[in-house]
Amino acid sequence: MLTELGDAGVQILAISPDPNERSQELAARLKARYRFLTDRDLAVTRRYGLVHAAGGHKSQDVPRPSTIVLDRRGIVRWLSLADSIQLRPDPDAVARAVRELAP
Amino acid sequence: MIRYWPALLSVLLTLGAVAGYYAFLRVPAVRNHPELYLVAFALATVIAGVASWRAARWPNFVALGLSAVLLILGGYFNFVLARVPATATTFKVGEPAPDFTLPDATGAPVSLASFRDKTPVVLVFYRGYW
Repeated sequence: MLTELGDAGVQILAISPDPNERSQELAARLKARYRFLTDRDLAVTRRYGLVHAAGGHKSQDVPRPSTIVLDRRGIVRWLSLADSIQLRPDPDAVARAVRELAP
Repeated sequence: MIRYWPALLSVLLTLGAVAGYYAFLRVPAVRNHPELYLVAFALATVIAGVASWRAARWPNFVALGLSAVLLILGGYFNFVLARVPATATTFKVGEPAPDFTLPDATGAPVSLASFRDKTPVVLVFYRGYW
């Protein structure tokens, strides 16, 4: 997804409880418009209603893997919510959702 | 060797399913169909089971044990451990996403509102590596 969407004029914000220096270095090397944001206490994740309670390997709360496409006005246009930690949205489907946004 | 070909086939199918899943984790068609490795484990279990029933010899039992254990563990992971319960999201398609400000990797604050009227945004919530 890094590369597919890198050129599409879209800002990707990746949110997790992790501090993300290493991920950001990777994105910089791939020249992707990816910014890694740290939601240490899951306050934002909780505000979105995307907490997987006790889903971590030490039974801590973790984010429910989710991908949300917003148009320029900040309106939700497409979303994918995981029902299994093994699954990820198809990058092509995300790219299509971005392309279909009104210019 | 030749009379143990079903046991060998069973082991190759089992190990091939594990190796194939991890090798092609980045391919959406593989990643998003974890049930494929369960089908492979089940098939390997049936092959080794039939071989063990026809000839009670250790290579057949080894193949049966390996494939059956992976079938049980894989099924438990796929159907129980990996499940994410549904959550009540606070936003809907067609409505504005809740605004937020979070620090980026350098500690600089980034607000969702700062992209308004400039560029579309893709929000990716991920589990992280703790």
